[in-house]
Amino acid sequence: MLCRVADDLYWAARYVERGIAVSRLIDVTRHLELDVGTEESDFWGPLVGAIGLSAEDVSFFLLSDEKNPDSLISSVRHARELARGIRESISSEMWEELNTLYQSLALPGAERRAQGDSLSFQRLIRERLQHFQGLAGSTLAHDEPWHFLMLGTYLERADGVVRLVARQAHLLAPRAEEETTDADMVRWLAVLRSCGSAEAYARFYSLRVEPIRIVEFLLLNPVFPQSVRFALGAADDALSAVAALRTAAGNEPGPGLRTLGRVRGEVEHAAIDEVFEAGLAEFLFGVQRSIAQVSDEITATYLRDEPQASRLVGVARAAMLMAAQQQQ
Amino acid sequence: MITQRSPLAAYDPTAFWDEMFSAPGVVRPHYAALARRLETLSAQEVTRRQRAADLSFQARGITFAVNQDPSGLEKIMPFDLVPRIILPEEWERIERGLEQRVRALNLFLHDVYHEQKILGAGLIPPELVLGARGYRREVRSVEPPLGVYTHVVGSDLVRDHRGEFFVLEDNLRVPSGVSYVVENRRVLKRVWPQIFADYPIRPVEGYPQELLTVLREIAPPIADAATVVLLTPGVHNSAFFEHAFLAKAMGIEMVQGSDLFVDDATVYMRTTSGRRRVDVIYRRVDDDFMDPLAFRRDSFLGVPGLLATYRMGRVSLANALGTGVADDKAIYSYVPTIIKYYLGEDEIIPNVKTYVAADPSERAYILEHIAELVVKSVNASGGYGMLIGPHAPKADRDEYRRRIEADPRGYIAQPTLALSRHPSWSDGSLEGRHVDLRPYVLFGKEIRVTPGGLTRVALRAGSLVVNSSQGGGAKDTWVLG
Repeated sequence: MLCRVADDLYWAARYVERGIAVSRLIDVTRHLELDVGTEESDFWGPLVGAIGLSAEDVSFFLLSDEKNPDSLISSVRHARELARGIRESISSEMWEELNTLYQSLALPGAERRAQGDSLSFQRLIRERLQHFQGLAGSTLAHDEPWHFLMLGTYLERADGVVRLVARQAHLLAPRAEEETTDADMVRWLAVLRSCGSAEAYARFYSLRVEPIRIVEFLLLNPVFPQSVRFALGAADDALSAVAALRTAAGNEPGPGLRTLGRVRGEVEHAAIDEVFEAGLAEFLFGVQRSIAQVSDEITATYLRDEPQASRLVGVARAAMLMAAQQQQ
Repeated sequence: MITQRSPLAAYDPTAFWDEMFSAPGVVRPHYAALARRLETLSAQEVTRRQRAADLSFQARGITFAVNQDPSGLEKIMPFDLVPRIILPEEWERIERGLEQRVRALNLFLHDVYHEQKILGAGLIPPELVLGARGYRREVRSVEPPLGVYTHVVGSDLVRDHRGEFFVLEDNLRVPSGVSYVVENRRVLKRVWPQIFADYPIRPVEGYPQELLTVLREIAPPIADAATVVLLTPGVHNSAFFEHAFLAKAMGIEMVQGSDLFVDDATVYMRTTSGRRRVDVIYRRVDDDFMDPLAFRRDSFLGVPGLLATYRMGRVSLANALGTGVADDKAIYSYVPTIIKYYLGEDEIIPNVKTYVAADPSERAYILEHIAELVVKSVNASGGYGMLIGPHAPKADRDEYRRRIEADPRGYIAQPTLALSRHPSWSDGSLEGRHVDLRPYVLFGKEIRVTPGGLTRVALRAGSLVVNSSQGGGAKDTWVLG
C-alpha cells in the first residue's frame, strides 16, 4: 500500500485511541469531583499533567480546547481529516462514523452541550470512537491497512498507559502499603478507571486495591487488552506482518521491528517486584523512549519512503493549487 | 387526471419546454405514473424524504469544496427528489449522437497531433488550433494506445423550447460529476423506493467497472498485469469525493503526485513494501500540472519526468495529454465540420449556434448584440468566466466588451437558450426549474454511453446556470429500458 496512506492510517488510529483515552480521563475527573468535592483541587492536576487547574478548566482543556492538540475535540478533528484523505482505503462505515461524529461536533450548540453536560457528551463521543475501532475489525480485511491501524492503536495505547502510570509513580515512592492514604487510593482507582480497567482488575485481584497490584495489572497483564504488555504484543504482531510483506518484496524490514521486539520482550519477562526494585520511573521512562523510537523508525522505513516534495510545500499553497485544478 | 388538491394542480409549465408537462394540467405519458405518486405525497412527507436524502449525502461526505472559497467549506450538492425520465427512443438518439461526436473528436485529435490534414484542407484556421491554449506540441506524433485520446467524456446537452437536444459543450479533459449519477440513484432508492416499482430503469452503478475496463484496455503493451491508479490533486480539490469514490469502486490506489516518481523511464509509486510499477494513470489533474519538468515548474501535483515516460509509451494517461484543444469553445463551433470531414456524416445532435470572436465579422456581431447573448471564455468551465447578456448589468456587459476586444481568441458567444424546465420541489410546492443533461461516454476498445447521466438543475427561480459551484442542484436521471 501507499506510504502516504499507511502514514495517515497509522495516525488516524493513534488519534482515535488518544480520543478514547482522553474521554475516559474526563469521565474520571468529573466523577472524582463528585466524590471528593471541588476544594481538593489538585486532585486531577497530576492526572492530566497540569497543576493548579479547576475542575471546570480541566474538563474544558481535555474536552473542547482547540488549542490543546490532544483534547478530545482536536483528536476527533485530526482523525477525521486524515480519514477524509484516505477514505478510499477504509470502509465506508468507518468513514461515515468519523464523519458524522465530526459533523455533530461542528453543529451549533455542540459547545453548549459540552459545557452543560460534559459527562454524557464525552461518553457519546467515546462510544462513537470505540464504534469506529469495532468497525475497523469487522469491516476491513485484516491485511496491510488494518495492520497499520492496529500498529497506531496499540502503540498509542501503550504510550498512554505508561504516561498515566508515570504521572502517579511519585505516590509510590514510600512504597510501604500501610502509608498509602485514602486520597492516594481514590487516585489510583481513578487511574484504573481512566484505563477502562476497573472491572477487569476486580476480576483478577478481587477487591485487594493495592497500588502495586494496579501497576502490575496495567503494565504486565498478559491478556487484558488495555495493559502495556498486551498492547506492545499486538503492535509487534502488526509490525511483523507488514515487515514480512516488505521482506517478501525484497526490501529490508527496517530497525523498528527489532526495537519493538526488544521492548515487548522486556515487558513480557518483567516481574513487578524487580521493576520496583530497579526503579519504576526508570522502567517506565525506558518503555516510553522505546515506543517513541519505534514510531520514528516505522516512519522512516514504511511511512516516508524518501523525503517527499509535497510535505515540504506550505499548507496554504498546497491547498490553493489543489483547489485550482479544474474539474470540468 | 390532475385533481385540484394535488401539488401538480398549480404547476405552470409556461412557454418553455417542460420535461413532464405538455400543457398546463397535461402530463406527458411517460411521467403519468410518477405524477400519480407525486399527487399522493403530502408536504410533510416530501420534507421528511428530502431531509433523509440530505443527511445521507452529508454522512457519506458526498460534498464538494467551492473553488477559491477560503473557508474550505464542504457543501452537499442540493438534490431534488423528482427524477427526470428519458424515453428509450430519445436516449437511443443521444447515444448515437454522442458516439459519433466522440469518435470524430478523437480522429480530429489524432490528426492535429500527426498529419494535420484538416488544417491542410483549409477547413479550420490553423492558428485557431495551433494557438489554442489546450494544444500541446509536446505530444506531437505521440501515438496513444488504441489511438484514443478521450477515455472519459462528459458532454453537456440542453433542450430548446421545441424539445430538441443540442450539445452545449464538450468536456474532454477531466470531466467530473459521474459519482453523483451513481450516488443520486442510490440515495433516491433509499429515501423513496416506492417510485422505482413503476418503471423499468436502466442501471448506472456499473460505471466504475466499465471505466476500469477501459483503463486496463489502454495499458502499455509492456504490462502483462497492468497496475492502474487514480491521480488526484488532493483533499482540497472540489471533486475529491469523486476521486475517492471512483478509486474505491474500482479497487485501485488513489495517489497524489508525491506518491509517484519516475526512475529509469518507469513510473513507480512509493509503497510500504518498496517501489511498485504504475502502468495506467487515470488523472484528475490538469495538463499544466502533470510534470513540473515539462509544464508548470511550480507544480508539485504532478510527477517530474512523467511526460518523457509517456512519450516513450511506458505509461498511459487517461485522458491523454492535449485533449483540451478539442473542447476549446472556439473549436467547438467547428465540430459539425469535424464530424463531416472524418466520418462523412451529418451531426446527429446539433451544436448551439456559436459566434467566434476571433473572426472579425462575428466579433462585430457579438459586440453589437451582447445584451442578447451568452458570452463565454473559451477555456473556463464550471460556470466561471461567463456573461449572460440579458441578465447582466450594463457595467458587466461593458467589461466583457472590453475583454473581447482585448483578447478576441479568448471568447465566444451563443444565443441565450430557453433551456427546458423540469418540476422541482421548492418550499413545499412544485415549480419549473431549468435543467441540462450531462451523459458520460467511455472510450477504450469501443464507445459506451452510460444510460442516464447527470441532470443538473438551476434551483434559483429563473436562473439558467446549473453548475454546482453556482448554486445548481441535481436530479436522478432515468433512462427507461
